[in-house]
Amino acid sequence: MDRTDTFGYRMQIRDAADHLKGLLAERFGSAKPEIGLILGSGLGELGDRVENPLIVDYAQLPHFPRSTVAGHSGRFVFGELEGKRVAVMQGRFHYYEGYSMRRVVFPVYVMREIGVNTLVLTNAAGGLNKSFAAGDLMLLSDHINLTGDNPLIGPNDEELGPRFPDMSAVYDPELRALARKAASGIDGLRLVEGVYCGITGPSYSPPAELRMLQVIGGDAIGMSTVPEAIAARHAGLRVLGISCITDMALPDELEPLTHEQVVAVAERTKPKFIELVRGILREMP
Amino acid sequence: MSETLKQVQEAADVLREKLPFTPEVGLILGSGLGVMADTLDNPAVIPYGDIPHFPVSTVPGHAGELVAGEIEGKKAVIMKGRFHLYEGYDVKRVTLPIRVMRRLGVRTLVITNAAGGINESFEPGDLMLIRDHINFMFRNPLIGPNDEELGVRFPDMSEPYSARLRELARQAAQAQGISLREGVYLGLLGPSYETPAEIRMMRTLGADAVGMSTVPEVIAARHAGLEVLGISCISNMAAGILDQPLSHAEVMETAERVREKFVRLVRGAIALL
Repeated sequence: MDRTDTFGYRMQIRDAADHLKGLLAERFGSAKPEIGLILGSGLGELGDRVENPLIVDYAQLPHFPRSTVAGHSGRFVFGELEGKRVAVMQGRFHYYEGYSMRRVVFPVYVMREIGVNTLVLTNAAGGLNKSFAAGDLMLLSDHINLTGDNPLIGPNDEELGPRFPDMSAVYDPELRALARKAASGIDGLRLVEGVYCGITGPSYSPPAELRMLQVIGGDAIGMSTVPEAIAARHAGLRVLGISCITDMALPDELEPLTHEQVVAVAERTKPKFIELVRGILREMP
Repeated sequence: MSETLKQVQEAADVLREKLPFTPEVGLILGSGLGVMADTLDNPAVIPYGDIPHFPVSTVPGHAGELVAGEIEGKKAVIMKGRFHLYEGYDVKRVTLPIRVMRRLGVRTLVITNAAGGINESFEPGDLMLIRDHINFMFRNPLIGPNDEELGVRFPDMSEPYSARLRELARQAAQAQGISLREGVYLGLLGPSYETPAEIRMMRTLGADAVGMSTVPEVIAARHAGLEVLGISCISNMAAGILDQPLSHAEVMETAERVREKFVRLVRGAIALL
């Protein structure tokens, strides 16, 4: 059903969006969220800074799966951040959890349906570029889809987007310029830029695979973001991507890695990350 | 008997009743190249809907019918419209028509497609002889129990695109005054177009052109023992080479512009068989 029934999928999107629209209207009147943020592993705290928050657990929403990963709480926070109306996702759905690609990107279409026109995708990633260090933030300049799947496979629903969406500039150049500007005012923040390789996981990559990713032009590696970015471009959203480099994934210096370490570095980098995203929101027109 | 073989037989049985002859050459026509089928005299046209187990193509520019007729004196069946993995079809379904053609008697398969140019010396409108391919689709039509009636368990892929047929195509191109490129086709799932970073990766890997078809068909064709000729129409330059977005409209426009040259090349190659 996931891959063939586009009408059913659109109805599910509408269903979930209608539910949210009702809750949002009750709380905020006619004001709609314009900027969506999906917060990655260990970065969820930004959602707690939202002013006048309306919290909606995914479990309350029709057709939303529940996030199964530690460090991903699984709820929307609506409200204001730096004067902008935001829809913040604390917790996302990953392909490695066993969800279909369509289900992974479902919230992207729901966010567009409730008014979101700009999507900020954040994640924790391993650094492949030797000039990076754990604790850097990386602006995504582009991505390489190595998941072996695509959220748009199946009959296309023209109401959601075109059959063959262009991907020549997934991560909006203007938003990236804005992020660079915002970063320049933050003490102790090193903002790098690079290509994010999206793999399925959930196993981390062995040195030989990391070497291969370096050869093909990857600067960072992670298990999310790529499907969401593809769906967001399909849906006509402007996209910005930010990785928190939580560990260095250098093939010849690889140490055993645990999810706890990833979350610990994300925790340490969080204040700078929060400041950067706040700065970007401030800069947005 | 395997399910695939059963489906192949049922489709072939129906087609034998409808075809005017036993075909020897099969053609699969890619995006915007379907016009080739309109150049046949007295064609027999069979909509896919009339053939058991054939899905109906969902992409504009892919008509979805089997056309039989003579090309340069050779008995041919043409698939006008193919099935793509991005449409949601299983890879076995995508390659079923190849097996049906083989069952009907086809021994030579001409596969064509519209592809994005990765090699920077290419230009939109170029025709590229496929020398080899890279399967970047994360799918293989032969996964599952093997049916020895259809082919061997571990088919050789050292020469998926026949060197003999490539030489014939070069001769045909020369005779027609058509300049012909050659290169490696990388098959991707799609349907989103590639990112510039993905294109750079593919160039590093040795690809000259990229598209969303052909690879599963060629794997199945080699499994079935068919001799394959592959021709790409370079319909656009891949992402990041020119400073402009990609669109399906551009692909169709280029195919339209090139089709006369394309038809001459294919006819010329078939004449030399």
